[in-house]
Amino acid sequence: MDARSFLTGPFPRSEALIAATRDLDRGRATVEEVEALRRRTEREVVALEERLGLAPRTGGYLLWQDLFRPIAERWGGFSVGPLTRWFETNTFFRQPVLSHPPERVPGALLPTLPAAHGAVLAQEAKVILPGPYTLAGLLDNRSGETNEALIHRLGRLFAEELTELRGAGYATFQFSEPLLPVRPPHAAASESVVAAYRAIGQAAEGSTTVLWTYFADATPVFPLLQRLPVSVVGVDLAETDPLHLPVPSHPLGLGLGCLDARTTLSEDPHQIADIARGAASRLKPSSIWLGPGGPLDLLPWGPAARKLEVLPAARASLAKRRVP
Amino acid sequence: MTRKLFPTQEVGSLARPLWQLQGQHGATPDARGRAEFEEWNEDLGFADPEAPEVRAFLKGLPAGTPVGRIKDWSALFALRFFEAAGLDRVYDGEARRVEMYEAAVRQMRGFEFQGHVRSFDNKYYLKAAGVGPVTVERPYHVEEFDFVKAHARAEPKVPLTGPYTIADWSYNEYYLGRHAGWKSRGVRRAAQRDFVVEVARQALRPTIAALIDRGCRVIQIDEPAAGTHPEEADLVAEGFNAATEGLDAEFSMHICFSDYRSLLPALLEAKRCRQWTWEFANRDTPEHDVYDLLALFREYGDHRDVGVGVLDVHRDLLETPEVVEGRILRAAKALGDPARVWVNPDCGLRTRSLNVSWLKLNHMTEGARRARSHFEGNG
Repeated sequence: MDARSFLTGPFPRSEALIAATRDLDRGRATVEEVEALRRRTEREVVALEERLGLAPRTGGYLLWQDLFRPIAERWGGFSVGPLTRWFETNTFFRQPVLSHPPERVPGALLPTLPAAHGAVLAQEAKVILPGPYTLAGLLDNRSGETNEALIHRLGRLFAEELTELRGAGYATFQFSEPLLPVRPPHAAASESVVAAYRAIGQAAEGSTTVLWTYFADATPVFPLLQRLPVSVVGVDLAETDPLHLPVPSHPLGLGLGCLDARTTLSEDPHQIADIARGAASRLKPSSIWLGPGGPLDLLPWGPAARKLEVLPAARASLAKRRVP
Repeated sequence: MTRKLFPTQEVGSLARPLWQLQGQHGATPDARGRAEFEEWNEDLGFADPEAPEVRAFLKGLPAGTPVGRIKDWSALFALRFFEAAGLDRVYDGEARRVEMYEAAVRQMRGFEFQGHVRSFDNKYYLKAAGVGPVTVERPYHVEEFDFVKAHARAEPKVPLTGPYTIADWSYNEYYLGRHAGWKSRGVRRAAQRDFVVEVARQALRPTIAALIDRGCRVIQIDEPAAGTHPEEADLVAEGFNAATEGLDAEFSMHICFSDYRSLLPALLEAKRCRQWTWEFANRDTPEHDVYDLLALFREYGDHRDVGVGVLDVHRDLLETPEVVEGRILRAAKALGDPARVWVNPDCGLRTRSLNVSWLKLNHMTEGARRARSHFEGNG
């Protein structure tokens, strides 16, 4: 059985880059120096991805201070709000504040994406964006729009964004939706999620779309995930037992978040392969993708890089026929 | 012993003076650092300005000044800062600790630092993994307490980073690694319990016992991580109980920026905790009286003291004495017993400038005095 693997979120900054950003905040380094180091670090992440056979590449999304920041800073209607705990972790994001209905700003996100500085070609890169449900649910909505309307509107804006990004050469798009399993939507919001992803699906036709969930058991929300027109649905194996997932009515790409970013312990590639085999046997996915469950930037650079080493071994183990 | 109503206390850290930051890294204080030292010293008298060491430090003589002396002055500075602001319970502003997590973990065996992890934006903290059984070579913060005890004019209160927070802010390799197979949620919780209890028993408890032996009577156990996983509130309580088992002191538990409702009633199982010291002011608004939350203790029949945060440590905005007074009175009303209300900032003041902290604390003690006046002659 073949599986592919990729990064599913931001990669940690290197210790050198962290020191440089600290120096920048203290007036001991220039913006230009830090940016040069960031680009070098981005190329190192791409090199790591290449060496480990992770594709499409991400470059680590080192510019993104959190999952929402470039949108909160660059799209209309948004501003950057207070520090807010990032789910059940000891990290924080700046809550986007939406004062008016959101407006996409053409070209605004392109400079923050992996191909912007030549570390990787757009065709070989993965765009990672917040999912409309997670963004709508975690922002401070002062726009007057209902949450359901906002989910749908964000879906349409992301569809426009995908059209633009496809024009720039990108062909793989991931929407990160940790909030879907953590706080499953009620019926009306579920229909808004479906409508949002239909809009995205139309814009993405012919390209690959990934919906990645993490931080909670995706089993209760899996029937909804199956309704969404995406190529791959990812679940976090630290929280989800794939043998408990309802069997999809149609072939679906299955993403298995097999690296737990909340522990420095490395996973056993053979265990990952066994879990993937069990999931494949039960769910009959059209493809299998292995990756980190949650964002790897919950780890320092070294442990995160060590964890990734497991992925080629897991792929190799999975490729071998299991001896009875 | 009867104590006055609404006694005031600090919660932990204070910003480092510039001269400390410069001096402890071997640099000569610059003009700003020297001016800061001299101006505050004039008000607080934490160092003898004529002492040769002080004069040498400020002049930046090549011989330099031992870092230990600079930290002594910093500790004394913080003590006098809190005392001059009128606080009834004081400490040294954690002047000798690099930060609350790293300072504690560096005293323990069984941990290895792994690297920096983002807290937010460009702010990172050094995070360790528990890689072996937790032990301490010897109790920590003891010399720090000895120094405070020798110099404090008000009652000292030692802050200690709690076992749950140490475990939660670390990676759990050792205790998790002992479980074979896939690390499901249930396995992770069992391993986390082992980690918390061992940090409590092997590191915190001997340290607390040693502090008590040296005459420490008031100990605050800081558990800022308590709100991260509300379903683990029972582990916070279990860690607290293990750390204090068989020991007698006035223990409190400090928690901040958490959904307190989600922690109750499990947290109330921390049996030897005599005071809950919580942040409130940060979320108090004209539209929403956050001190209403204190009624929860009545609902659960919990009669312990509460240290109520009346100063927002994340904003420079100065709470007037009237605002502080109002917050104290609302807290007393919600709790149903003014005698159980202590008054403190929401959390450590390390993120505020010294000038802002000074004004905030003075407004706090004045606000407490005003609140007290409402009850004078009532019994």
